[in-house]
Amino acid sequence: MTRERIQIFFLIAAAGGALGLPLVITSPTYLHILILLFFYAYLTTSWNLVGGFAGVLPLGHSTFVGIGAYTSTILSLQYGISPWIGMIIGGVLAAIAGVVIGMPTFKMRGAYFALATIAFAEGFRVMVENIDYLGPFFLNGPRGLQIPPLNVGLANFMFTGKSPYYYIILVMLAAVLILTYAISRSKLGYQLVAGGEEPEAAAALGINVARAKLIAMAMSSFLTALAGTFYARFTLFIHPKSAMSLDLSFEIAFIALIGGRGSIAGPVLGALLLRPVGDFSRIYFGDKLPGLHLIIFGVVLILVMIYQPRGLQEPLTRAYHRLLDRLSGKIEK
Amino acid sequence: MKLLEVKSLTKQFGGLRAVSAFDLSIEEGEIFGLIGPNGAGKSTLFNCVAGVYPPSGGDVLFSGKSISGQKPWNLCKRGLARTFQIVKPFASRSVLYNVMVGSFATTGKSAAAERKAREVLAFLHLDKKTEILAGNLTIADRKRLEIARALATEPRLLLLDEVMAGLRPTEVDEMVAIIRTIRKNGITVFVIEHIMRAIMALSDRIAVIHFGQKIAEGTPAEVASDKNVIKAYLGEEYAVS
Repeated sequence: MTRERIQIFFLIAAAGGALGLPLVITSPTYLHILILLFFYAYLTTSWNLVGGFAGVLPLGHSTFVGIGAYTSTILSLQYGISPWIGMIIGGVLAAIAGVVIGMPTFKMRGAYFALATIAFAEGFRVMVENIDYLGPFFLNGPRGLQIPPLNVGLANFMFTGKSPYYYIILVMLAAVLILTYAISRSKLGYQLVAGGEEPEAAAALGINVARAKLIAMAMSSFLTALAGTFYARFTLFIHPKSAMSLDLSFEIAFIALIGGRGSIAGPVLGALLLRPVGDFSRIYFGDKLPGLHLIIFGVVLILVMIYQPRGLQEPLTRAYHRLLDRLSGKIEK
Repeated sequence: MKLLEVKSLTKQFGGLRAVSAFDLSIEEGEIFGLIGPNGAGKSTLFNCVAGVYPPSGGDVLFSGKSISGQKPWNLCKRGLARTFQIVKPFASRSVLYNVMVGSFATTGKSAAAERKAREVLAFLHLDKKTEILAGNLTIADRKRLEIARALATEPRLLLLDEVMAGLRPTEVDEMVAIIRTIRKNGITVFVIEHIMRAIMALSDRIAVIHFGQKIAEGTPAEVASDKNVIKAYLGEEYAVS
């Protein structure tokens, strides 16, 4: 068996496992944890298009989650427009916002860029918190918007059980991973990496670095906003502190840093480690020692940053390739 | 036909005039050398031609059309490629990846870009090192990688900024041979170099820059015997030898 075959086999096994999980895991709590895990993996993979490949550190992606969540929710609550359509409209609005934010900020380097994106995100959140009506649109300020669970069904993006949400976010995650893989091997992917590492050399090789970054930012914010709609339909309640908080932006960045920025597996690996650590330490220690889960979370973060500054993706990829070598070698003999 | 023309180019940084009223013209198919002491304005002139700095005055013509003030990425697409004196590899990526970044300048397809990159790497004898990370290369290989990336963009004019600095004598000889073959393949070469042995052997014509001004121009033999050049740059020993 060749390496490629083994890899395809692994891929099918992973896909099968992911598809079958809700049949095994019947506890809604665990399913909820899994859904959020995939949700964060999806968000971080979308973030990775800019934060990973383009080599900058955006810390305001919750803005786009918020734009997506609010757009589809307002359109469905006030105008009865299907959330699926609202999802796309929210994505387009977020892409525009992403380009508007990107145009002045991509000229900045390092920490200045990160700080500028935080400023945009916080400014946006404070605005939403203090606005009840934006023209005809009802935002309800800090109280947020509640989605009444009335018309259950796929057309209305609303379900009684958790497993439909699980499959939707799973499909979304798979799609964004495939997209990221395709981009990383395309001209745009090379342009982003080159522009992120050595902008001057990239420019000399025919790359308009600012333009490439803006394209990546538009795609990233579009995809991020789609998850915003998912979040709104899943939790049925959005408010500025949940859908566009700085915590959310930071968690995306943490997951990326732990998993490995700029790699395809990194965001998924980061979410696989960080989300359960956060969730289970909260479940098991939350009542006995309040706040312990945050300490555990922090310790894991520090340990990974010290011992694997380029993320868990690096040693795991090496181990995976060794495993592939061994398997293909053995079976061929 | 004149491929590159620099007309009374001036570049001013605040009160410092790094290049002043510089004229230059390079024929298609030529290897043209630019020499001068450190700080004479060689790299500034290069950067003005390559679009990194907009010139403060004068004009730059590339195959008859003004390119003054154009951005580097547009110049690259018009057929003007360059290397950097301080090499700038995409260190975390493989040699092949680095060169593919260059070949994507002329194609949108990954397969075509890879084919072109492998061709160029074979030409520069880097074909056994395609999978090595660029950050782990020796200095000689990094200089070659700079040339490989630039060649992958399929230029008509190649600007080489001290690609032999820091190389051992045998490596310098190899590089001279490589540059000659590049010219034989129809690419005009404009080269800045400090290694006299190499630039004298390579160039059809040489210009000498000193304090931002051209003090001499001509064949290597003419330049080497020019009194001003000997005084400003070469030193007395070179004139004797």
